[in-house]
Amino acid sequence: MMLNYFDQFASPIFLGVPLIALALTLPWLLFPTPSTRWLSNRLTSTQGMFISTFTQQLLLPVNKGGHKWALILISLMIFLVSLNMLGLMPYTFTPTTQLSMNLGLATPLWLATVIMGLHNQPTHALSHLLPEGTPTFLIPILIIIETISLIIRPLALGVRLTANLTAGHLLIQLIATAALVLLPLMPTVAFFTMILLFFLTLLEIAVAMIQAYVFVLLLSLYLQENI
Amino acid sequence: MAGHDGGSQHQFTGIAKYFNSYTLTGRRNCVLATYASLVAIALFFKLKPKKKPAVTEK
Repeated sequence: MMLNYFDQFASPIFLGVPLIALALTLPWLLFPTPSTRWLSNRLTSTQGMFISTFTQQLLLPVNKGGHKWALILISLMIFLVSLNMLGLMPYTFTPTTQLSMNLGLATPLWLATVIMGLHNQPTHALSHLLPEGTPTFLIPILIIIETISLIIRPLALGVRLTANLTAGHLLIQLIATAALVLLPLMPTVAFFTMILLFFLTLLEIAVAMIQAYVFVLLLSLYLQENI
Repeated sequence: MAGHDGGSQHQFTGIAKYFNSYTLTGRRNCVLATYASLVAIALFFKLKPKKKPAVTEK
């Protein structure tokens, strides 16, 4: 069987069992849960501090009515960060490289913000489709453009995450293969390729965290517009 | 960026009172009018009777 560079993105099935379910639930086991004791240990306290600081920062521009979204947004952030970071380890599968999964996360949440906006404050939500001060002759075309940009939001959210992670994983595999192939032929070039691979891995760690943050931040912005 | 425009500094008359790009209701009405126009155009082309070619005696 000929292997190609896209085989790493195939959803793994072992003896008929889809392992993506395991890939999705395993990160949950890695995070410590607070105990019933009055004082938590240092790890749990640190985790709690990061989560509460991040929640405050994320929900700072959102109105009070949107604060009920805190739990879903923060848990989504932790979920995406853990999936992305775990996927950087060798021989692991990254569920967020699957477009179906990212669209499945993005579309319902985006649609929820749109429906909430139209239900709670329809005038406000509809007026967002026409920027203030638009010249009269541009009004119809701008409304059409803004409507298209609204509808394309969940697609952009899903594809952004998928493309960033897929491209990163592909690059790592390509440069690692190049370093391996060049090692017996041109060791000096292979050495520089390995340095490049090291910096690329650092970049991918940053991208893994940033893309998860951007996903959640954009959802909070869409919520801010509609609440 | 400026917040919502309450429309207090703009005094519109006539049709501009309801369709403008400065007040909240004006922008809403422009959006609804654009959507209604698009639906009307789509319905017009959908329901337009198709021209049948003339039947000639053979």
